[in-house]
Amino acid sequence: MIQLEKVSKLYGNVIGSNDLTVELGPGAYGIVGPNGSGKTTLINLLTGQLRPTLGKVSVFAQDPWRNRKLLRRIGLCPATDVLYPNVSAYEWVTYQVRLHGLAHADSKRLATESLAQVQMTENMHRPMGEYSLGMRQRTKIAQALAHRPELLILDEPYNGLDPVGRHQMTQLLIELSKQGTSLLFASHVLHEIEEITSSFLLIHGGRLLASGTASEVEQIIADTPQEVVLIGPDVPKLIPHLADQHWVDTIQLLAERTELRVGLRDPSNLYHSVADWISKDQLRIDQFQTANSNLTAVFESLLRHHRGESK
Amino acid sequence: MNPLLVLDVVRFEVRRSLSPGRLAIWSILVLFPIVLVAALRLLSNRSAENAEAWGMALYFLIPEVVCLLGLLLWATPAVSTEVEGQTWIYLAMRRSGRNLVLIGKYLTAVLWSCSAACVATTVCVIIMGSAGGLQLWVVICVLSLLSCLAHAALYILIGTIFFRRTMVTAVVYTLLVEYGIAFVPAMANRLTINYRLRGLLAEWMNWTAARTVTENIGGQEAAWFHVSVLLATSATLVAVSILRLTWTELPTQQEG
Repeated sequence: MIQLEKVSKLYGNVIGSNDLTVELGPGAYGIVGPNGSGKTTLINLLTGQLRPTLGKVSVFAQDPWRNRKLLRRIGLCPATDVLYPNVSAYEWVTYQVRLHGLAHADSKRLATESLAQVQMTENMHRPMGEYSLGMRQRTKIAQALAHRPELLILDEPYNGLDPVGRHQMTQLLIELSKQGTSLLFASHVLHEIEEITSSFLLIHGGRLLASGTASEVEQIIADTPQEVVLIGPDVPKLIPHLADQHWVDTIQLLAERTELRVGLRDPSNLYHSVADWISKDQLRIDQFQTANSNLTAVFESLLRHHRGESK
Repeated sequence: MNPLLVLDVVRFEVRRSLSPGRLAIWSILVLFPIVLVAALRLLSNRSAENAEAWGMALYFLIPEVVCLLGLLLWATPAVSTEVEGQTWIYLAMRRSGRNLVLIGKYLTAVLWSCSAACVATTVCVIIMGSAGGLQLWVVICVLSLLSCLAHAALYILIGTIFFRRTMVTAVVYTLLVEYGIAFVPAMANRLTINYRLRGLLAEWMNWTAARTVTENIGGQEAAWFHVSVLLATSATLVAVSILRLTWTELPTQQEG
């Protein structure tokens, strides 16, 4: 379905995508990466909005930059908001479908159906200027779905949705996936994607750092040096304990002497030991930040793995 | 390209632009020449028989000022407002979205500006009384339409080349070329739209003074030639805009 061969995209001197090579068959995939990691550049390359500086992009075996007819088979829900204050969701979605060249009657029917799918039927004739952020988000998803695309690309689709809305959206995406619609779901929040798919592409700095199932990615992370941060007035007293451990790679005490950064291969050893040390020496440690709670840290770890530093 | 789809774009653009602000601007464009002509009618001691002077004033006020002001507001930012509002991506994701939307926005800008020009012309001609007349009304309305078609195409092209500072670029171009070079008696003025419109005014109204001014500035060309040049220019500029937009990477949204 999607093929990227050594694709790079440069914005002047800035790298948007860096030597991406990936092949994806039909199915559901999550694109995970921190803000600014290159997710949107990748989406824009796949939808023909950007032309790769180097390499070749192929979607459904065609070049999306040269063949705009391909867009009929793709639905995109961008991350950006949409606001035409005095136009209703029904008018806008109908218009969007109509721009694909579908007949008037079909456009109206498809718009009505897709707005119903995102629970917007009651409000679809109200002007969009009166909508909440969540309602506009649902409308955006409706326009992406309305023309029944084979590939649905969603960039941060949960923005602005309340927990009920997120649950409904998750159910809808799972249902679409079951019906055979391929999904590409970009987010910087891992667990949002985990509910829909177990296949991930992890992107950082425009590079594809890892791809595969959650367990495969976890294994890569486990094999990669990770950084744990301990914060508190007594963190220097942990240094003698840590210095004796074979599983510790690096110890860094920052200038204020209240923050200790520990580089290690398997954080589980630290989890087992640190509570004992704190209890035995009556230490005061205020915060314990692990890579798992910080996606940027996970990506930093993966970047080191990508560079071969974990070997 | 399906012309019905273009009409749908025009319908959507008119629908979304029916706002109090837009209607207020349209009203100001209509009222501006009416107030000036009415004031001239009341205060001026020019006799109603001096139809040529009245007609020249009306021509300058409507096809050269009202139409250009309207188009600067509606044609120039056609693409840049979508880019700045980050809504361009929704249109560009449609199979023929880029082309259809550009043509639709072009026609919508012509519709808004030309309607303001025609309503203003109608009222002005009535105020002018015997200095006006049906012929002047028809000529000014047709010149307004040609002015809108050609200038809108020009501003749309400027808008597809300069996504930022679009309005400033269009205003500078208008002042330098359409109000500057158009008056220079040299070959360069034949490349301007206003030169063609003035030539047509002189031809169709058969005014001696206007014809002399036109001939002094640029020479004499037949009306059909002026109209052909204007229509060909409009079509060429729109076609270049479409090409430019088709193969341009527009900013779609903040990188994530």
